[in-house]
Amino acid sequence: MNAIPPRTGHALAPGATVRILKQPPEAHCRTPYYLRGAKGEIAEVRGLFRDPSLLAFHKPGLPMRILYRVKFKQVDVWPNYAGSKNDTVVADIYEHWIEAIAGETK
Amino acid sequence: MSGSHHHDHHDGHHHDHGKPHSHPHSPPAPDDDDGYDRYEVLLQTAIRELLDEKGIISAEDLHRQIDYQDSLTPAIGGKIVAKAWTEPDFKKKLLADPLKAINESFELDITTPLDLVVLENTPQVHNVVVCTLCSCYPRMLLGIPPAWYKSLDYRSRVVNEPRKVLAEFGTVLPDDVEVRVSDSTADLRFLVLPNRPAGTDGMTQVQLAALVSRDSMIGTAVVPAPKK
Amino acid sequence: MERKVNDLGGQPAGPVCLDEHPSTLHEKRVDALQKILSGSKLGVFTSDAMRRAIESNTAEDYKGMLYYDKWIRAVRDLIIEQQLVTAKEIDDRVAELRVRLAKTGKL
Repeated sequence: MNAIPPRTGHALAPGATVRILKQPPEAHCRTPYYLRGAKGEIAEVRGLFRDPSLLAFHKPGLPMRILYRVKFKQVDVWPNYAGSKNDTVVADIYEHWIEAIAGETK
Repeated sequence: MSGSHHHDHHDGHHHDHGKPHSHPHSPPAPDDDDGYDRYEVLLQTAIRELLDEKGIISAEDLHRQIDYQDSLTPAIGGKIVAKAWTEPDFKKKLLADPLKAINESFELDITTPLDLVVLENTPQVHNVVVCTLCSCYPRMLLGIPPAWYKSLDYRSRVVNEPRKVLAEFGTVLPDDVEVRVSDSTADLRFLVLPNRPAGTDGMTQVQLAALVSRDSMIGTAVVPAPKK
Repeated sequence: MERKVNDLGGQPAGPVCLDEHPSTLHEKRVDALQKILSGSKLGVFTSDAMRRAIESNTAEDYKGMLYYDKWIRAVRDLIIEQQLVTAKEIDDRVAELRVRLAKTGKL
């Protein structure tokens, strides 16, 4: 993907450790419940998209939001995950649902 | 077209994997087209007629759209996979910018999904795709999704017990392989590029494409080595 | 409510039923209507709006209704919302169709 100009003063880079916010869902929400509060890392920066929570109500969906592919270790998401410790889940999350976790390294 | 027989979803069916199971959460099978008296069939007819009368969607528009939908099948995805298996240069372009690579190589003009992602299976990583929130699916490349992909059971369980769900499809991966579930929560659409099986050296792209199942491009199946 | 009716990831569920049936004409028509209405030419509503309308079902309805039934009901809600038709027009037509069906055996 082409470089995304920073919008909010920072853009998260691939590899950055992040946490999905735990907050009430919008009237139309595309951040799954099972990922809220989960720790993961930025896998990919996918560019700017209109906000689906606004598009859902016939609004233009502006300002556009950066969409990230965020990867999580399954053992970090599910307390009793029974599969392999190598397993992961990747979801497409908008920037306003993500916070960088400062000072943590992989 | 119409003509599917009415069948009771709850008995008389069989599965290739031979495992009997109940359907605690499944709604009954849809009626075939003779189920005219169902409210939703009447509703669809009413809406169709009203929009036609108001000059918004003509019967012809609708037919054209249905014909177009019918033309989209997993064979399209299969061709893409076969080409990626045999042409390293195409595969590289496909992984970097899938829509561009597909449009150029197949002389198509696919404009949607604008954000197509090709997920390459490797010996270390097995990809499987779901939309837990609804039923997002790369229809342009695979046609309409199967009922199971849209089912509550698949959407609920493939994120937290993917290996169990894959086993229900007859797909078992060793523990050292990373099972990577992609949840299609936004506008990105995903096509899994399955591993090319052994025993396929020298096969043409047409022959290879015939091996590629829809399920292998969703990630619930692998492409098995062809039988001799 | 923190978890919406459609937000199913990780919820308890049963074995995945692998049965498939060819699309019925009704299903194809619902799909096509939705596709044209949400397409770039007409742009009556977005796919996001379709999802939002479907998510407005109760948990019971969301789980119990057939997939394409949720779709056609969402189309109904949205074309009324966007003032292409009125609820009365739709209801009246449905009633007419019931009469047509009773009289002739088809729509």
